[in-house]
This record gives sequence, structure tokens and C-alpha cells, in this order.
Amino acid sequence: MIAKRIQPMVFQARRLYVELMFQVMGRALQAVSEVDASVQNDARALPVGFLFEMMVMPYGSRLIVEHVGNGRFHYHGTSAPRPVDLSIQFKHIAHAFLVLSFQEKTSVAFANDRMLVDGDISYAIRMTRVLNRLEAFILPKLVAQRAVKEYPANLHLPEKLVSAARIYLKVASNFVETVRA
Amino acid sequence: MSNKYYEFFCPVKVIAGKAALEHIPYELTGMAAKRPMIVTDKGVRAAGLLDPVIAACEESGLEIVSIYDDVPPDSSTSVVRDIAGIYRSEKCDSIIAVGGGSAIDTAKAVNILVSEGGDDIAAYAGAGVLKHPLKPFFVVPTTAGTGSEVTSVAVIADTEKHVKLPFTSSFLLPNAAIIDPRMTLTLPPHITAATAMDALTHATEAFTCMAKNPLSDAYATAAIKKISTSLLAVMDNPKDADNRLELAEASTMAGIAFSNSMVGLVHALGHATGAICQLPHGLCMSLYLPYVLEYNLESIRGPLGELLLYLDGPEVYAATPASRRAEASISAIRRLRDALYKHCKLPRTLKETGKVVEEQLERIADVALDDGAIMFNPKEVTLEDARAVLRRAWA
Repeated sequence: MIAKRIQPMVFQARRLYVELMFQVMGRALQAVSEVDASVQNDARALPVGFLFEMMVMPYGSRLIVEHVGNGRFHYHGTSAPRPVDLSIQFKHIAHAFLVLSFQEKTSVAFANDRMLVDGDISYAIRMTRVLNRLEAFILPKLVAQRAVKEYPANLHLPEKLVSAARIYLKVASNFVETVRA
Repeated sequence: MSNKYYEFFCPVKVIAGKAALEHIPYELTGMAAKRPMIVTDKGVRAAGLLDPVIAACEESGLEIVSIYDDVPPDSSTSVVRDIAGIYRSEKCDSIIAVGGGSAIDTAKAVNILVSEGGDDIAAYAGAGVLKHPLKPFFVVPTTAGTGSEVTSVAVIADTEKHVKLPFTSSFLLPNAAIIDPRMTLTLPPHITAATAMDALTHATEAFTCMAKNPLSDAYATAAIKKISTSLLAVMDNPKDADNRLELAEASTMAGIAFSNSMVGLVHALGHATGAICQLPHGLCMSLYLPYVLEYNLESIRGPLGELLLYLDGPEVYAATPASRRAEASISAIRRLRDALYKHCKLPRTLKETGKVVEEQLERIADVALDDGAIMFNPKEVTLEDARAVLRRAWA
């Protein structure tokens, strides 16, 4: 009985959590592309103006980033200026929650058919590498190991701490700018 | 609660064995189809493989209304448009694909156009675009390797834009796959070997990669057992219809397995090598399989060890300590490759192909890293890892 009563609140909390994580990830994608050379290398292969979307089906949370050139991303929030080039779509908010709460690795979610890819698969592989790199930077190692297939062996603590600090700073500044605007 | 989850889907009716082709008229009639079109290639027709299909239909009073026998090895959007035009002008109502991967993929794409309408197949590219069942569609494979008769994917080249268009939908699956030993009886030894190694790779990767599941495991292990017991028998005696059928069934079963659990690094490297060096897909699979298994070894020790039972039989499995079974499985695959090299000179290294130069390895590694199959490899593959596997496969 109690479980039934609190269920709507649980659903609401889950929705808010996924929404918040998408906002953080979108901004962090922009930040990591300004900080990390490896991410820039991966992003350079994307066409300039390439729009990437990650969303929850059918009309749930979403994030949109654009490759603005030279391996840099720009976070567009939830609306795209034109049709997106690549969309990674969670089939249900429950699946997005599993991934974003690090209960299921992104690669496992793909293997489990939790997500659909609409667009060029090779670009989706690149964007997944970028997301993995981002998670390896911004999450504590123990959590990151739950999120990525393999924690990068060559990512040592000093580099991780410095990069994470820079990324979080940029994310926070972006949030402040959004609120001010 | 466990996080384990999987999906498994295969609605294709499999009609396999002696006189299987003679079931085609009944199956067509059961779907109210009376005017079938055959889509095939010149090689299949020249080998006389259409004759038993046509005879089986004519004997039951079913006329094959049209035969398109000019499917190229890499089919294109214009070929698909042309065939769809013939289908419409001849008022056909169903399609029978007779051939290997290219003929089957072309027929799948033609079925989209003639069912959905229009002339621009590119408009249907991507995943999940199709929303309705298509026209009655039957597949008669003439190689035992691709498994295309049970996959929901087709790839067609757009020659104007120089891109390959992928089509993914469960509606692309044929209504039935007809596996008849007569269709593979005349397959030359090197193609028999390469296509069987393709099927072995499908099954091995399905069993060891990230999306493995209990149902695809069952198909994968059964396919591996059939290939390991029948392939060399067929190489010794190409007219052995029983073992030919075993290989054809194994190919279909491996196709069911990998289309439900995906493949990994062997396919990523194979796709890249095929695109850059124009090597046949089956040959690439045979080349890379042991090297990739060695690379993945510590991530797949358990399942790879289990495969020894199907690769080498129960006696060897029982006599091998559990801790050595994974290595023994790789050795069994290497022995099979050595035997095939003896039989038909099927290359075991990139150098032995004589068609790859060492300078191409860098480009192959680059392209492989962006291949969709790499997502399901149990180990995260870096550019340096891919280069290392390629160096080992070189010579």
C-alpha cells in the first residue's frame, strides 16, 4: 500500500535525476572537448555542424551537442537548431536511469538493446568513446569502472584530478551563465 | 536482483534437408503468392543452381514470372531500382532470392521498394523505418556462411554518394529460408572453406561477445559442433551431401546466433580489411579469429573453454584441465585452419593472402576502431590494441 503511494514520487525523482544528468553530461561534453586532446581527436572526424542527440523515448529528457570544428563541442540544451545527424535513444526512462546511475555500463546497455542508434554507426562508436572518456575523468575510479567497459590504464590520478577539476569548473560556469541568461 | 537481460527474435521458418526446394510452391501458395520473381546472380545461374528451383515450382504448376540474374557482388541502389521496376511491370507478387549475401541483400532491398512504394531506396535507410510487413519473401542460400537468410539487415551501396546504406528492420527477414544440400554441392573448395570459417566465426563471437544469451548460445554451440565435425569431411569429399547439409544448417544456426547476440573485434577488423584490401569476408574471418581470441582471452576464458567440447569433442574436453580449455579451443581452431591451408591454401596470415601490404595495417586499425561490431567486443579495444592484433595476424 505504502509502496503504491510513494511510487509516483519515485518516478518523479527518477525523471528529475535523468534530466539533471543529461544537463550535466551535455555541459560536460562541451567542457571535455575543450580540455582533452584525445576527445578532440575523436571529435575531429565528425563533420563541422554535426548534431548529436541523446534522448529518452518517446519525448523524454534530451541533450544536444554540436561539433563546431577543431574537435570542440557546443551544448545546445534540449532543442536542436536543425534535424540532428545522430541520435542515441533510450527505449525507456528506466533504461536511462540504469545507465546514468551507473548500474549498467553504456556498452552493456547497447548489448542489452536498451538503446537505439539512429544515424551513422561509426559516429555513434566515436561518441560512445567520447562519453566513456568523459566518465573516466569526472567520476571517481570506483564509479567509473561501473560505467565504462574498461577503465583506461593510462589515466593516472594527477591527470584525472586536474582534468576533472577543469571540466567541473566549466560545467558550473555554464550552469551559472544559463541561469543568468 | 540480477541485471541480466536479453532479447531473442527469429521468426524465419527454416525448411531444411532433402527435397527442401520442392516445398517452395506449397509455402508460396500458403501466402497467396502466385507470381514469384527470382533474384540471383550470373554465377548461380551458370552453375545450374536455378534449374532445381524452377523445376520444383513448374512441377507444381507454379510459374516463375521473372528471373533477374545480374546482381553484382556489391549491389547498388540503381540495381535495386531496376529490379523493382521489373517486378512491377511483370506484376510479380513475391520474391525468391537464390544466392549468397549480395543477392539476398539486394532482394531484401527490392522487397522494401515493391512493398512500400517509390524508387528511392535511400529513403528507407536506417533502423526501424519500416512499419509494415513486406511482400512474401523466400531465401535459398547457395553458400554456407553468411547467415543472411536469418538476419534483419541489408547493406546496399549508393554509388552516387559513395556511401553504404544500412537497412535494419525485422520486416526484412524472409518468411522462409530453404536449406537444400543441392545448392552447396558444387561450391569450390576454397569458398566452402572460407564460408564455413565465416559461420564458425559468427558462432564463436556470438558465444564470447557481450550480448551472448542462453538462446543464442544454444544455436552457436550447435553450429560449432556441426562445422568442426563436417567441414574437413566435405573438404575430403565435396559431393558428400549429408555433410554439406550439416554445414548449411550450421551457417543458418550461426546466423540466428549472431543476429541475436552480435559479433566483435574479428568482424570489426574483417569489415575494415574487406573495405581497404578487397579481401573476401569469410577469408578475413578465418585470418583474424585465433588472434582476436588470444587478445580477448582473459575476458572470455570461461565461455571459450566451454567451446572445446564442441570443437574437439567430449574426450578431449574431459582430458583437458579446465584451466587450459580456452587455450585448447584456440589450438583447435588453429589446427582447423592448418588443415584448410593444406586442402585449398586458405591463407592463415595477412601476408599469405598476397593482397595486403604492411603499410595498410595502420589504416585497417583506424577504420576497425569505428566499426559498429567493436561495441560488443568483451574488451575495450584501443588503436594500439588493434595494431597489435594486426601485427600478429600479419605473418
